[in-house]
Amino acid sequence: MATPMSGEVRAEPNLTPLLDVVFQLITFFMLCISFSQDTIDQRVRLPVASSARPVEASKAGEDRLVLNVDRYGRLLFNGQMYDTEGAIHQIDIQAQLVRLSAKVSGVKLNEAEGLPTVVVIRADRDTPFSQWHRLVTACQDKGFRKFALKTMTAPS
Amino acid sequence: MKADVEIQVTPMLDMAFQLLTFFIMTFRPAPAEGQFAMNLLPSQPATRMDAPISSDVTSTEVPAGLRTLPTTLRAVEGGRLGRITLGEVDIQSMDQLKKELKDILSHRDEYPFDQALLKVDPKLKYSELMQVVEVFSSLNVTKISFAELDPNAEGG
Repeated sequence: MATPMSGEVRAEPNLTPLLDVVFQLITFFMLCISFSQDTIDQRVRLPVASSARPVEASKAGEDRLVLNVDRYGRLLFNGQMYDTEGAIHQIDIQAQLVRLSAKVSGVKLNEAEGLPTVVVIRADRDTPFSQWHRLVTACQDKGFRKFALKTMTAPS
Repeated sequence: MKADVEIQVTPMLDMAFQLLTFFIMTFRPAPAEGQFAMNLLPSQPATRMDAPISSDVTSTEVPAGLRTLPTTLRAVEGGRLGRITLGEVDIQSMDQLKKELKDILSHRDEYPFDQALLKVDPKLKYSELMQVVEVFSSLNVTKISFAELDPNAEGG
């Protein structure tokens, strides 16, 4: 505590603990922030299903292909919007990439079981079934068998 | 003569608050999402009565077509779910669907169904379809194939 010559008493708050707390908060927000908007596209309003299960932690590391589908059935992928033909082409490219990756890493693929990649479909609640089915069929034709249909667990 | 070195904490705290403000402004909590993990099979035609007999007459395995439970979903105006037909039974509500399905699956000896074929009206909205998928998923039927229903055909 500084005691000037005039005899006044000055109180100087200790800023070090305050700085510690602020750094804790910064660390928290840094860990929570996500700059990637590709996997969560806000243009897609998911349907609500209360019994949908969260992604299991053990499966968080498996290879996933996220397809966002808007209410008109258009594919939103890698920041681009594709109609049905373009979407089928993109799915074909992704399937080829999966096979190439497996070949490079020496993993033998069992075509009967399908590709190991899980196709995560985030479709808008108003997407017509015909549009959605065309994309799913395209995925199946290219060898994808595992799918995860995303929903919200509670209304937003 | 010893000189005390004092570190100015105030500017550091200012910078820390700047960073904290940035992260707070950019923080956007993701809505709670769940998923239904499914093994979506390509749609298979049901076994026809005049289909040729399998050459392997010693196999006791029930053909896939007979292990598939057909379900028809029809839409009304606006893409909402109109009529559900489970096998040959008309269903009036989701609760009845769950009850009938549970009853069928509990009689495995009589009904060896382990997968489902959903024939869906092309106009049906995805959110309506997910209500039905949720019922099947809750009863551990995750092998589902989809087919588009001809809206003009009666009886599915």
